[in-house]
Amino acid sequence: MEIPGSAAVDAATAEAPAVEGGPAATKGPSWLFLITPRWLAWHIFAVFAFWGMLWLGDWQFHRAISGNGLSWAYTFEWPLFAGFGAIFWTRTIRDEFRAKRGPSAAEVKAAAAAPILPEGIGTRQIERPADDADDADQASYNAYLDRLNIEVKQHKRWGGYG
Amino acid sequence: MHAAVLRYRVMAYITGVLIIVVCFAGIPLQLVAHNTIISNQVATVHGFLYIIYVIFAYMLAQKLKMRLGPTILLLLAGTVPIMTFVVERWMMRTYIAPALAADDAAAAAQPVAR
Repeated sequence: MEIPGSAAVDAATAEAPAVEGGPAATKGPSWLFLITPRWLAWHIFAVFAFWGMLWLGDWQFHRAISGNGLSWAYTFEWPLFAGFGAIFWTRTIRDEFRAKRGPSAAEVKAAAAAPILPEGIGTRQIERPADDADDADQASYNAYLDRLNIEVKQHKRWGGYG
Repeated sequence: MHAAVLRYRVMAYITGVLIIVVCFAGIPLQLVAHNTIISNQVATVHGFLYIIYVIFAYMLAQKLKMRLGPTILLLLAGTVPIMTFVVERWMMRTYIAPALAADDAAAAAQPVAR
């Protein structure tokens, strides 16, 4: 069966690694966060999970060649999961570096230079028409939208729904 | 966002039902009646669908910017009977509903020209 063991679940339920970079994180080389105890525990977990899954694949392979036809499916599945685990781990660390570093100068520049709307879609059409002022209906609707916009911006992460 | 949530939820329900069939029908049948048809065939199907579940769940976790611990819990939920449904409810409440609400609020707050 493909239940990776309860140890994995225990580790998973131990909430939230040190994702927030406090002021301490800004000192020293940027990779230093990787050797904090919490991250070391995650590294050990990742290595054990990776080799464990490869080992399970090997075990299924031996069962398969000794006549258990059903094991062929798992022989290929376990290495697949091991590979997925490796990808997951690499991406997690990469994302963490990106989050720590903040957007690079080139990215900020590109974002500022990039047009908000695709080429060919004019911004003129969303300019307020001149006769807008005497449309009380629309004026009050726009005021309502502005209020909502300000309200949402004041909320925290999930726009106040969290 | 809505599509990613739907993909995840569909796969969560499928893998959740299959793992329950394997554990609460297949394994007793195998132990009592020595009939391995459910435990073997359904378990294999679950194994392959779980791969799809993992991919969709991971994509959703990336979209929701979930942290490492909850992400791993989410991925493993497809292998534990009943857990799949518990985690799906927890996901809806903790991550998905707030994210969708924020999405919709952000869309509504865009000034629109009529």
